[in-house]
Amino acid sequence: MVKFLKPNKAVIVLQGRFAGRKAVIVRSFDDGTRDRPYGHCLVAGIGKYPKKVIRKDSAKKTAKKSRVKAFIKLVNYSHIMPTRYTLDVDLKDVVTVDALQSRDKKVTAAKETKARFEERFKTGKNRWFFSKLRTAVNCKYLVL
Amino acid sequence: MVATKKTKKTHESINNRLALVMKSGKYTLGYKTVLKSLRSSQGKLIITANNCPPLRKSEIEYYAMLAKVGVHHFNGNNVDLGIACGKYYRVCCLSIIDPGDSDIIKSIPGDQ
Repeated sequence: MVKFLKPNKAVIVLQGRFAGRKAVIVRSFDDGTRDRPYGHCLVAGIGKYPKKVIRKDSAKKTAKKSRVKAFIKLVNYSHIMPTRYTLDVDLKDVVTVDALQSRDKKVTAAKETKARFEERFKTGKNRWFFSKLRTAVNCKYLVL
Repeated sequence: MVATKKTKKTHESINNRLALVMKSGKYTLGYKTVLKSLRSSQGKLIITANNCPPLRKSEIEYYAMLAKVGVHHFNGNNVDLGIACGKYYRVCCLSIIDPGDSDIIKSIPGDQ
């Protein structure tokens, strides 16, 4: 009875090009809009995960491996899987429905999101969010 | 022997409570609507049949954990649960939105 599809909730996208990717809810539209008469949310997610950084890596290599590609998307609630994790990154000013209207706006918003994600990744917090989803073969139960 | 007697009695009481909910309350039947009710925080109690596929059962449990809603594993398969709901079809999972006159929400998660 607690609403859990709220901003800052980490979710997993289930359908579409970004299926299996982790994302964070930036804004949720529980009752839908005129254009989308169903519950949906604006998410910002990871297109390409940062690679594993090891101690041996030089500074240049670390920088290259820590790159993150971000995406911004409006997703139907039934195409995401909510998790118990949250991600406290302030994206409200950058990621807006307005940003999805044109390609340039989308690219700039994605670049800004990418910068904020990379910054967060480098602090070492929210490790779960920046790691690929563990795909367990032959797993009967949900493991998140 | 005492154990089986006890489960039979509580099983009947769940059936009675469920029948009362069907008559006087609001509910939805089926996996898709159960998830919808959990997302919109309308569901108050979820009941799953015992032959619900384990992945689906754990998914419903996970959603219910996030929504802080109780899940009751019905002592019977989807055919039995459908009959308990008074329907002529199988019901694998159902969500009680408004219990009406029934006290199912107060009594059943406590039993679990």
